[in-house]
Amino acid sequence: MKTDIKNVRNIGISAHIDSGKTTLTERILFYTRRIHTVHDVKGKDGVGATMDSMELEKERGITIASAATFCQWRDNQINIIDTPGHVDFTIEVERALRVLDGAILVLCAVGGVQSQSITVDQQMKRYQVPSLAFINKCDRSGADPSRVTKQIKEKLGHNAVVMQIPIGLEADFQGVIDLVTMKAVYFEGETGENLRIEEIPKDLSAAAMEKREELIDAASMFSDELMEAALEDRVTKDLLILAIRKGAMAREITPVFMGSAYKNKGVQPLLDAVADLLPCPGDVNNQALDMENDEEPVNLETDSNKPLVAFVFKLEDGQYGQLTYIRVYQGNIAKGKTIINTKSGKKIKIGRICRMHANQMEDIDSISAGFIGALFGIDCSSGDTLVDSELSLTMTSMFVPQPVISLAIVPDNNKSQINMAKALNRFTKEDPTFKTYVDEDTSETIIEGMGELHLEVYVERMKREYSAQVATGKPRVAYKETITQKAEFNYTHKKQTGGAGQFGRVAGYLMPINVESDESGFIFESKITGGSIPTQFIPACEKGFKKCLIKGPKMEFPVTGIKIVIDDGASHSVDSSEMAFQAAARGAFLEGYAKAKPIILEPIMKVVVETPTEFHGPVIATLNQRRGIIIGAQDEGPICIVESQVPLAEMFGYSTVLRSSTQGKAQFTMEFNSYKEVPHSIAKELLTKAEKAKK
Amino acid sequence: MNTNVKERNEKMIEKELLLKNPLHVLKRSTEDILPKCGFGAVLARAGVGKTSLMVQIALNTLLQSKNVLHISLNDPVNKVVLWYEEVFKNVSKEYDTKMVNNLWEIALTHRFIMTFQVEGFSVPKLEERLEDLIEQAIFFPHMVLIDGLVFDDSIHQPLLDLKELAKKLDVNFWFAVQTHREDKHAPSGLPNRLVQLKDLFDVAILLKSEGKNVHLQLLKGSDQNIDPANLSLDPSTMLINSI
Repeated sequence: MKTDIKNVRNIGISAHIDSGKTTLTERILFYTRRIHTVHDVKGKDGVGATMDSMELEKERGITIASAATFCQWRDNQINIIDTPGHVDFTIEVERALRVLDGAILVLCAVGGVQSQSITVDQQMKRYQVPSLAFINKCDRSGADPSRVTKQIKEKLGHNAVVMQIPIGLEADFQGVIDLVTMKAVYFEGETGENLRIEEIPKDLSAAAMEKREELIDAASMFSDELMEAALEDRVTKDLLILAIRKGAMAREITPVFMGSAYKNKGVQPLLDAVADLLPCPGDVNNQALDMENDEEPVNLETDSNKPLVAFVFKLEDGQYGQLTYIRVYQGNIAKGKTIINTKSGKKIKIGRICRMHANQMEDIDSISAGFIGALFGIDCSSGDTLVDSELSLTMTSMFVPQPVISLAIVPDNNKSQINMAKALNRFTKEDPTFKTYVDEDTSETIIEGMGELHLEVYVERMKREYSAQVATGKPRVAYKETITQKAEFNYTHKKQTGGAGQFGRVAGYLMPINVESDESGFIFESKITGGSIPTQFIPACEKGFKKCLIKGPKMEFPVTGIKIVIDDGASHSVDSSEMAFQAAARGAFLEGYAKAKPIILEPIMKVVVETPTEFHGPVIATLNQRRGIIIGAQDEGPICIVESQVPLAEMFGYSTVLRSSTQGKAQFTMEFNSYKEVPHSIAKELLTKAEKAKK
Repeated sequence: MNTNVKERNEKMIEKELLLKNPLHVLKRSTEDILPKCGFGAVLARAGVGKTSLMVQIALNTLLQSKNVLHISLNDPVNKVVLWYEEVFKNVSKEYDTKMVNNLWEIALTHRFIMTFQVEGFSVPKLEERLEDLIEQAIFFPHMVLIDGLVFDDSIHQPLLDLKELAKKLDVNFWFAVQTHREDKHAPSGLPNRLVQLKDLFDVAILLKSEGKNVHLQLLKGSDQNIDPANLSLDPSTMLINSI
């Protein structure tokens, strides 16, 4: 890789479902000559888009794993991560954004800023990723880029500035007017590869002038030179681009482009904008934490001669063995070099290095600072940091949401069991939101994840990629238990008849705490004075309490939001032991818990449905029937967006219900919102079910 | 805490929250300030606090377990939700979090937010949406707030239509009305362009920013002999400074 770092762009393409981001990526690869033909996502030719490399993705027309690819535009090397749009796979988006320097936010010219666009935008904010907006599907009926631009301002709070205006719209969409050069751009040829640059059509020149003024106004906030030039009416292209770039990099301007990827219009100017307006790795300030210096932040320099700091953002176990996707922030990784995984402390010798183009790859010798690439045969997890031996830095860890749904899976035969274990091992390494464990009582393997579709996709992949035939149980909601009031306990565990005796007394109280204030949901505090419980047994008490939290006494759900304080106790010089105090803690917990008014909590999901307005009523009814609280209904002209909070337990099979009540015209997204108390009637039902299951 | 004590505590907080509401000073009771099927208006220049006061009017009703439909023609649902959270947080910050959270959870079930684009809003459309909700017994509003309606020359007919709707559904309507610097005022204090609409409204409250405070002036309706000096609101919370 000899490209100058100034010419490198690491970008992501994120958007709402069906906004056309995979099609856009496909066109980008075509125009940059990485591929030689274009295929549609749900194309009749049966080939599918290049980025949707997994069979399943091709079949469902969705993108699941973010494939990394690179391409060359003008003198620039652009590394693209194609990110999934469905909320169930948000962790992929988060990981992608973590390593990107810039992003293209694709919006549908008809749908506008949709619920998922808001989610991805929040993620971009979290990682301070500068972005460009691309209003796609301008050829569709109902397309209205100016409405979408307004929504970017209002709903996302961006300072959206249009860089182009459309020439014609809907079926009449012909091209765009570039407000920087003040030229009309038409896209000709079978695949829009020939650009015809002409003077602006007369009927659009006034509108173009007006929008250009707005653009210069907004950009001049970031450049005094431009402001002066604007006053003297001598604005040049370079001056304007430089000012916009400055604003965009500070996330204070969001340049808006438009086109139709499917109709091969507007993609090349977007690529120019990626090169002109988005930052290179050297422009972005990246920080790592110094493990030896109390996690003090350290600035990293995009310099290949400095010691190495690289971040593992994705693992993939494909036909070539395990692939580890990394981004090098500082230094350089080369074949034969020995590096260290900060988390495990293990030394790693670098074997093969490559860069990926969807599922094909190209061998290279090294990856320099600022670049994205992949390594072979490295044992690590996603989120790990790789460094040179003299450093002990770690990149900030990523935010990983807790799973909300689980499913029991049973392999059909022995062979499937072996394959299933292999598959689970790989999936859990690849995806931190996907978890698995064996239920001690039923010996079933349980998989946990972020939604029904999330788990469904993994079960499918198990079958297809590992030939592991598994039967699945009914999805189960991750209920939790908590207490609602303070309660005291004073319990003596005594077993002093025959054999070695056991004695321990534990007294204190338990009280509810706000889970948000402590993520683990459990605080243990010892206020023991005077040695009523000898110091060496206090950890045993904590261990005893912790064990009780795994399966709550009320309904065997994990207990959360609880603080346990012990302030008194008693011990016996011979009969007290760690085991005795663990047992005493268990007894004490059960005693206190029963008095602390325990309740069941259930996950509440934020469900956003987008529906044609004529189905507004039926959609609200379907949510209402599911114990949903309707937060509001947003009228967006032809479509209406209904926002609600619905318990996850009521959402199983919702997609079928929604489809049948809206003639398949509505779509919904769902993401975790909070845990709330289960209503009494439902709690009773759960209790009856649990009792039946016990019998 | 046994259930009765808990309920009593919740009721107490509820009552106190109602007492602190500026509406209470206007009516000297927590009952609805508007007559049956009445119209109320909150007038102010941009940025003085119309929405905040409207949200307080809504909270006042929500805390009485009555349903409120909040219609916004400017802001998306998320932003309206933030307004409610912010105002509720301000009015309830001195109280026990858990109790307040319970009240909030209950209030949420009585609130429905609808947003329209200004140009996409029409009375027949609203009526259609409301009928959807009412027919399916999903939501029946006791009060409707409309924020963002443009009070220009063409507003008279839509207001008459809304009056009909109010009668049909037996609900009160509150409107946020934006006034402008260049507005000329009638002796009643109303901007001239709104004088001809005066009869449609039962209550009109004007918010004026003066120094560090926002003053509340009753232009029409309720007990008009209130000392205006009492009606100053803290602009950060829009709650009464002192009674």
